[in-house]
Amino acid sequence: MASPRAHWTLTLLALLSSIPFTHAATVTYDFNISWVTANPDGLTSRPVIGINGFWPIRRIEANVGDRVIVNVLNSLGNQSTSLHFHGLFMNGSTHMDGPSQTTQCPIPPGGRFTYDFTIEQPGTYWYHSHTHGQYPDGLRGPLIVHDPENPFTDMYDEELVLTVSDWYHDQMPDLLPLFISKVNPTGAEPVPNSALLNETQNLTISVQPGKTYLFRVINIGAFAGQYIWFEGHNMTILEVDGVYTQPARADMIYLSAAQRCSFLVTARDNTSANFPVMASMDTDLFDTLPENLNWNVTGWLVYDSEAPLPEPRILEGSFEPFDDMALVPWDGQPLLGEPDQVITLDVIMDNLGDGANYAFFNNITYTSPKVPTLYTALTTGELATDRTVYGQYTHSFVLERGQVVELIVNNLDPGKHPFHLHGHHFQTVWRSADQAGTFQDSGVAPAEFSAIPMRRDTVVLFPNGNVVLRFRADNPGVWLFHCHIEWHVQSGLMATFVEAPLDLQKSLKVPDDHYAACRAGGVPTMGNAAGNTVDLLDLNGQNTPPGPLPAGFTTKGIVALVFSCIIGIVGVAVVAWYGFAADV
Amino acid sequence: MANDVFSVPVFLVVFRESLEAVIIVSILLAFLKQTLDGPNGDKKAYKKLVRQVWLGTALGLLICLVIGGALIGVFYTIGVNKWELSENNYEGAFCLIASVIITFVGAALLRIGKMKEKWRVKLAASLEKPLAVTGPAGRWSAVKMFFEKYAMFALPFVTVLREGIEAIVFVAGVSFQAPAKSVPLPVVVGLLVGMFVGYMLYRGGSSTRLQIFLVVSTCLIYLVAAGLFSRAVWAFEAQRWSTAIGGDAAEIGDGPGSYDIDNSVWHVNCCSPDLGGGGGWGFFKAIFGWTNSATYGSVISYNVYWISVILGFLSLRYCEVKGRRPFMKAKLESQKDTVITIAAVKGSQT
Repeated sequence: MASPRAHWTLTLLALLSSIPFTHAATVTYDFNISWVTANPDGLTSRPVIGINGFWPIRRIEANVGDRVIVNVLNSLGNQSTSLHFHGLFMNGSTHMDGPSQTTQCPIPPGGRFTYDFTIEQPGTYWYHSHTHGQYPDGLRGPLIVHDPENPFTDMYDEELVLTVSDWYHDQMPDLLPLFISKVNPTGAEPVPNSALLNETQNLTISVQPGKTYLFRVINIGAFAGQYIWFEGHNMTILEVDGVYTQPARADMIYLSAAQRCSFLVTARDNTSANFPVMASMDTDLFDTLPENLNWNVTGWLVYDSEAPLPEPRILEGSFEPFDDMALVPWDGQPLLGEPDQVITLDVIMDNLGDGANYAFFNNITYTSPKVPTLYTALTTGELATDRTVYGQYTHSFVLERGQVVELIVNNLDPGKHPFHLHGHHFQTVWRSADQAGTFQDSGVAPAEFSAIPMRRDTVVLFPNGNVVLRFRADNPGVWLFHCHIEWHVQSGLMATFVEAPLDLQKSLKVPDDHYAACRAGGVPTMGNAAGNTVDLLDLNGQNTPPGPLPAGFTTKGIVALVFSCIIGIVGVAVVAWYGFAADV
Repeated sequence: MANDVFSVPVFLVVFRESLEAVIIVSILLAFLKQTLDGPNGDKKAYKKLVRQVWLGTALGLLICLVIGGALIGVFYTIGVNKWELSENNYEGAFCLIASVIITFVGAALLRIGKMKEKWRVKLAASLEKPLAVTGPAGRWSAVKMFFEKYAMFALPFVTVLREGIEAIVFVAGVSFQAPAKSVPLPVVVGLLVGMFVGYMLYRGGSSTRLQIFLVVSTCLIYLVAAGLFSRAVWAFEAQRWSTAIGGDAAEIGDGPGSYDIDNSVWHVNCCSPDLGGGGGWGFFKAIFGWTNSATYGSVISYNVYWISVILGFLSLRYCEVKGRRPFMKAKLESQKDTVITIAAVKGSQT
């Protein structure tokens, strides 16, 4: 993919060669989103968000080239919702991407909304709510795109899908106000109550000796990264986040929230024993470790259903998972050239004037605009290329079509963050170790970047370290870049990329049911981030985060101090006067 | 800083705490010496009251050592600083009690000072016959003498107890992190310096003109008492905040989260009189009640205290001049006689 012409030629050839063999289908899903009750860890029943009366929600499956239609009816009654199809490029259909107030209005209770898009990429993905921190309440599930041209198709006999996640006993609308509050000034994220494998703790996977299985593993959790390993078996990684890789041997992998990995596991030849499949939550970011918390979950590869299910072995020392930076993409895409635009984002956590802890990129904490960013891009004419119209707090960057964009993310926080970019895979050209400081200070030269960098859509940034990403802006649309720890999404660790807005104005047609959701919710659909259609550069009235904490003495404080001093002096004077007054 | 053998925070805290206690004790002793140890004095009453002061001091010291030792024992066995979990409530209660006692003792000291010459005369006269003087003066004699009886014990006792426990808890807390040999020297030096200052105060106080000494020292202890009252309210609010954020707010230092933003009147991320021993700001806190993070409660209570004291002294003076409480009629003669007789009887029992 060195030049646009080569790109087009290859595409044409691919298209022509695929015609006799494949036949693009349309896959339709009707989703009625409503509340059901579930108790996946056996500890407590709780309301969860299900689809068509079922939870866990069903898998979406399609082939490369298929058109997928999802008709959503929101029967939740008390919450709005939306669906994001994580990892899909949505090329030409950015309005189907899903984040509320970015590419659409939230689907109100009772509302209907149709997602209609074509998938041109194979791999392991997932879909989840992208409204108000809702998905940890259950609205998340796998999305698998099968590839008739799969280069590894001869290496395995069967495919299995495995989801791992953390699990809370409380609902997000109850946890969020406690998280973003003055009584949580350090921004401690709520600690999950359990870990789940395939939304349960009793997972058994029947395997036959000698067969090789392709496991597609997805971390659909809200917060916790997971260490994953199979006792007695090792793994051969073939794909991460939808990017085929050179096969790589691993004993243990680490998946942050939202990451995926597909690997081969070959079943052993003898059937005398069963083997634990382990997922262990990364507790580094947990504020406390409650005594009754079990941060591991065990499933089993079952060779013999009569044999016992053994307890997992406790590992000594620290985890040593496979480093995904060592993966080499199968297609050998070389390092993108000198960037046309370099964007540096520093990750900072700080407190604002309401006493709560917020997350910042540089000095901006994300706050939703009044008009969804995509609709601003569509209705602001020539000014759509001026980032001012998107408001200060959507932290928007305008990208020109075809530009090579370099994103340098410096972590000024002692926590790990998994960063995700909508609409693209990015090349991870450099990732530092822990405590390496900023990229600018580390003195790393571009000559040290790998020639064929690892590609994925969600990458872990280490504490006080940095990461450099490159991608080509070849997908007109409005794409979010954010930490995929759902708590940090809510506290503002997000930026927006507005890619080729003038092209969008020419080509994008938003169907009326999208605008109907806006009308039902009273959300304006035209103008800048403040809803101003007359003076597009006037952002008065835009949504803003709380003001900063007072830096020292405010007027109120000075008045109080001065008054107290005066009254103290007066008081002392009165005491002295009394003491010296002549006796009666 | 040579903090291998001399931990500066420990020194400052011990010095500051012993200074506060020593101010109270030496002012009381100097006052007693001036009033009762002169040529016209009552040696017996002097010795008795001085003994009370020392008794209060010694008992306060003893009990605070016991409590401190118990707390340290709990530290080591359970490893949890249970004191810290509600230390603000204890501190608030102590400060409040001390403030109240100081307030009343201060007024009594001033009144006694003014009436010193006549005091002996009145006392002697009241033993012979009922006095035909105006009522309120006699009634106040009774109150004065009642306070005299116990204040000389109570005030040093509460003060030494409070200061001692604060010092022990702080030093114990620091000694877990600092090298052990950096603790004993500053403790001893802090105590010695504090006692030296107190002794100078006593010497200076004993030889100055009584009235000037009394007025100056009473002004000082009223400043301290106003600060204590404000600190008490602040401590209760700090405890409520600590409970709300589920832990010890002091662990967050003096940045965001260590205080309730909605309740804050001023907050500066420096100049804390509590962190790391407090340094110079600790003295400001001891004398004026300074805090780097003031709440509505602490500011209002400081002002309320002073306003009450001002009104109290104004009405006291009004009483003395006009012979009756403000807004009240003069008492009947018969009532006055009864009061004077009671005062006389009580006086003879002192």
